[in-house]
Amino acid sequence: MSQQTRRNAFIAVFLLPTFLFFCLFALYPIAKGIHISLFDWSGSSKNKHFIGLDNFRELFNDPIIWTAIKNDYFLVVGKVIGIMLLATFFAIAVTRLRAAGSGFYRSIFFIPNIISVVVIGVLWRYVYNPNLGFLNSFLSLFSKEPVQLTWLGTENLAMWSLLWPSIWAGIGFYMILLIAAILSIPAELYEAADLDGASQSKQFWSMTLPLIWGQIKISILHVVMTTLNGSFIIVWIMTEGGPDNSTQVMGSYLYQMGFRQYHMGYAAAIGVLILTVSLITTLILQLLLNRDTTEMA
Amino acid sequence: MILHKQNLFGRIITNAVLYLWTAAVLYPLLWTLLASLKDNPQFLLKEPWTLPEFPLLWSNFTYVWSKYGFGSFFLNSTIVTLSSIFLSVFLAATSSYVLARFAFKAGQVMYYLYLSAMMIPMILGLIPLFFLLNDMGLINTLLGLVIVYTASALPFGIFVLVSFFKMLPKELEEAAYIDGAGYSRTFFSVMLPLARSGLISVGIMNGLNIWNEYIMGTVFINDPKLYTLPVGIAVMQTEMQYRTEWGPLFAGLLLSIIPVIIIYFIFQRQIAEGVTAGAVK
Repeated sequence: MSQQTRRNAFIAVFLLPTFLFFCLFALYPIAKGIHISLFDWSGSSKNKHFIGLDNFRELFNDPIIWTAIKNDYFLVVGKVIGIMLLATFFAIAVTRLRAAGSGFYRSIFFIPNIISVVVIGVLWRYVYNPNLGFLNSFLSLFSKEPVQLTWLGTENLAMWSLLWPSIWAGIGFYMILLIAAILSIPAELYEAADLDGASQSKQFWSMTLPLIWGQIKISILHVVMTTLNGSFIIVWIMTEGGPDNSTQVMGSYLYQMGFRQYHMGYAAAIGVLILTVSLITTLILQLLLNRDTTEMA
Repeated sequence: MILHKQNLFGRIITNAVLYLWTAAVLYPLLWTLLASLKDNPQFLLKEPWTLPEFPLLWSNFTYVWSKYGFGSFFLNSTIVTLSSIFLSVFLAATSSYVLARFAFKAGQVMYYLYLSAMMIPMILGLIPLFFLLNDMGLINTLLGLVIVYTASALPFGIFVLVSFFKMLPKELEEAAYIDGAGYSRTFFSVMLPLARSGLISVGIMNGLNIWNEYIMGTVFINDPKLYTLPVGIAVMQTEMQYRTEWGPLFAGLLLSIIPVIIIYFIFQRQIAEGVTAGAVK
């Protein structure tokens, strides 16, 4: 065998089986999902009618999907603001402000990130429980009358009640990313700033923040993507989209349509919508954030 | 190093917020522990934060373990997680090495396909994947789960390991070639051991995700004997709520948290490295 043949054989053996496996179990299902969205199909029966874009027409006239999109964006905006503010503050606190026991905080704050979404969902469901949970009892300490809120059962409260555990569970991850970014800033810069007598807050605004801005941008994009693509799980565990579809997000509605009501074609159309919404959102966000840096530079 | 000029007020606020968040993280977990040792009268008559009364109901743990087949959920999750970690790390490592070291057009295309898959919502492929596995006779099998978990873990693994292999010095490889080692020999006995810390980071990160995964587990498995831990807990929760078995429910939650916490404290450094390496650069 020539050297060239051996090289090609090696490349083929190391790359192709993995790639074919990936195509079959990851890429093909995604492409097929787009295809299924063009059919009226319950999944179990043989009759599968091609209906073109009818599923999408129906979808746009479905009031629930508009609630779902609104809720998705509620979680996106709430999580971006909550997570980024807190994670940045914590990262600064354990590095620049030298709060005692920074290793301790780093370890503790990350714990919710390693717990299954199912466990987090069930746990918070019980925290919010009007009779068993500690939240109402805790709030009652501060009010004259006992607080008796049904957090997850009240339409106006339910989305806020879902937002909190999502922030709670996400902080640690982004804190670690930002800590790494801060630690990669050369110490000499801070020493020079100290010599010049720059205050802590001055150092934060004119050095730390601009230097970790790249990482913050990536983190924001990551929060947005993972929220649009995955936060339906906590919704599904905690409220199943209720009460009266008021906490439905696109993903939970897809799950309900596909695997509870067996409208596979319609569910697939929701899947295409999720893909479209997350691509457009990421694109717009990237444009906004990049314009921002050029202005800062 | 010059002392930081931080005013007292700032320091107090900073520490107060850190204490508050520590409490916000730990209290729900502590509450789970307290609740797991209570009986129903204590749930109904006492304030939720009161300490459990003696004798502590450790039997809640044994009850949930035997009555709800917790042991088998654990076993299933362990089998699925370990197999998927092994497969995904192996497949990602071999591909990453070639993608990092042998430059050619098709390889570039492949690399970007893997990366773009990280951005696509997995739920879009859920329905077709269900029918694909069904046609292959893999619905209700742990093998089916291992396959889908491995496929979904590949993009992250390849993303991290490609940059890892690129960082390793080329000289060692060249020395191996000069000593007469072939491509695969060089990979397995020189490069793979060098990439050990990267492989561990990827394995741990993927492992945590797989251990905690719920959606694919619940869609592709409906035989209670094959439930993984998250699926088991979700099902158990509904039943226990109906039977008002609250103490055992909290015991079950706690039992599922403890192993990941132990793993986390053992592999903390690798997890932090995995997080940092995984952030799209």
